[in-house]
Amino acid sequence: MNVLLADSFAERGARERAQGLLDPQTYRELLGPFERVSSPYLAAQSVVPQSDDGVVVARGTLGGVRACVIATDGRFLGGSIGEIGGAKIAGALELSRRDAERGAPTRTVLALDTGGIRLQEANLGILAVSEISDAIVALRELVPVVALIAGRVGVYGGLSLSTALCSQIIVSEGARIGLNGPDVVETESGIEELDSSDRPLIWRVMGGRRRYDQGFATDFVDDDVGAIREAVLHAFERPRELGPLVAPPFPNPRLERNEFLRAMGIEP
Amino acid sequence: MSERSRGSIWFERLAAGGTRVAGLPPSVQVADGALEGVPVRWIAVVPDPNGRFERARNGEMGIDEGFGVAQAVAGTPRDRAVVAIVDVPGQAFGIREEAIGLQRALAAPTYAYARVRRDGAPVAALVVGKAISGAFLAHGLQAGWIGALNDGGIEVHVMSEPAVARVTRMDRGDLARVALEVPATARDIATFSTFGAIDRLFDVVDPCDPTESEFARVSEALAAALRDPRLARRNPRDRLDTPAAVRTRALSRRVREALEAQWDD
Repeated sequence: MNVLLADSFAERGARERAQGLLDPQTYRELLGPFERVSSPYLAAQSVVPQSDDGVVVARGTLGGVRACVIATDGRFLGGSIGEIGGAKIAGALELSRRDAERGAPTRTVLALDTGGIRLQEANLGILAVSEISDAIVALRELVPVVALIAGRVGVYGGLSLSTALCSQIIVSEGARIGLNGPDVVETESGIEELDSSDRPLIWRVMGGRRRYDQGFATDFVDDDVGAIREAVLHAFERPRELGPLVAPPFPNPRLERNEFLRAMGIEP
Repeated sequence: MSERSRGSIWFERLAAGGTRVAGLPPSVQVADGALEGVPVRWIAVVPDPNGRFERARNGEMGIDEGFGVAQAVAGTPRDRAVVAIVDVPGQAFGIREEAIGLQRALAAPTYAYARVRRDGAPVAALVVGKAISGAFLAHGLQAGWIGALNDGGIEVHVMSEPAVARVTRMDRGDLARVALEVPATARDIATFSTFGAIDRLFDVVDPCDPTESEFARVSEALAAALRDPRLARRNPRDRLDTPAAVRTRALSRRVREALEAQWDD
């Protein structure tokens, strides 16, 4: 390995991301791939399931404190959330809340890389996300809940709402945060609304740097495992204040599209 | 506007005699009234053809709707129940919205509903029209009790049907066949209610013009739900313990049990 190159977080799979965040040699996966809990709904839709359903839940320590890292696998069906993956996330958050209530808090990190709810398990995914969001609201009453958005996909769809509910949000430049993915906006509203192949524009609108500059993230990190781990530790040890969920100032939406974007400080 | 939306029709009926809450966008209708003696804040999202965001004029949840509903929910006076009247065809699909931060606009009401529920207010939802995706997550799904009209016009899904057809390259017939095998992909309320998230279904002949007795049945059930002291402690996770979910969401329960068993060394 070239020592001059950063140890990219985004290049890693979900399992290796969780391993990179937890203290060395403390990683322990729950409901791992050998337990073969995979989606029973995909075969009927000609999709090959994965034995962890694209979500890794790992225990260990973080800065010496009990921790749980929940990581979604953006490489499996776009990191989409189905029944099993959704239940893993919600269940882990619920157990973290129980730990906090008992006075033995678990540092909980949501390392999300997801395009949203899995179309093939649609309404079971919606229900899971409603439970995840509520579990985050419940957990952050007691302890910080840290979202880490530093993958290739970023976070879209239902879990983008859940992410916005977290008390700390760490983003990288390569990640994106939005409710609707660019292809969805193009499909629903036309290419003149958003050309999903215009990657530079997409990053100017919803890239990690942009979201950090808007005050929607508490920290901005390089795509480097060591730097990201440091940022996660900081988020628990010195939490920063994220702005309340109120409407930010914005230009008149009746402005023509490009004028509106320029007024937002985005070159169309 | 040529035709009033279902959300608007049911809002007018349920909130009749209530006091309108001002200071909100026209697409967010809010009134403080009473239902059989129970003080209620009624909240509906309705179409506004003159809305300032062109992608949110048909009842979609956009920037104004998300932050507006959040403001209305968070501002609910103490000792007042909150009822979301749900008829939302989806979220707004616009670049302006994404640039401003639509995920936060929809997280805001999600947070507000969860917060007031966890602070002890009874929160219910009544699905009278479409309940699609992020819009339903933000307006309805954080309620402790959800009722719905048992009607073919109700749709629950993560995406509009044409969009699903485009993405999956399946036609309507294929999608219908898949829905029979994988009920989670179905769009109808009868199938959705098998997952344990719908506490009550109401038969209505014409959902846009309910009869007195149909309306009375809805009102009575809703009032009874709001009066039930258990409602304030009912969180979304508790839906997993309904008889329906025990059957249809067995995996969601098993995953949680396994996590709990393995949680500590």
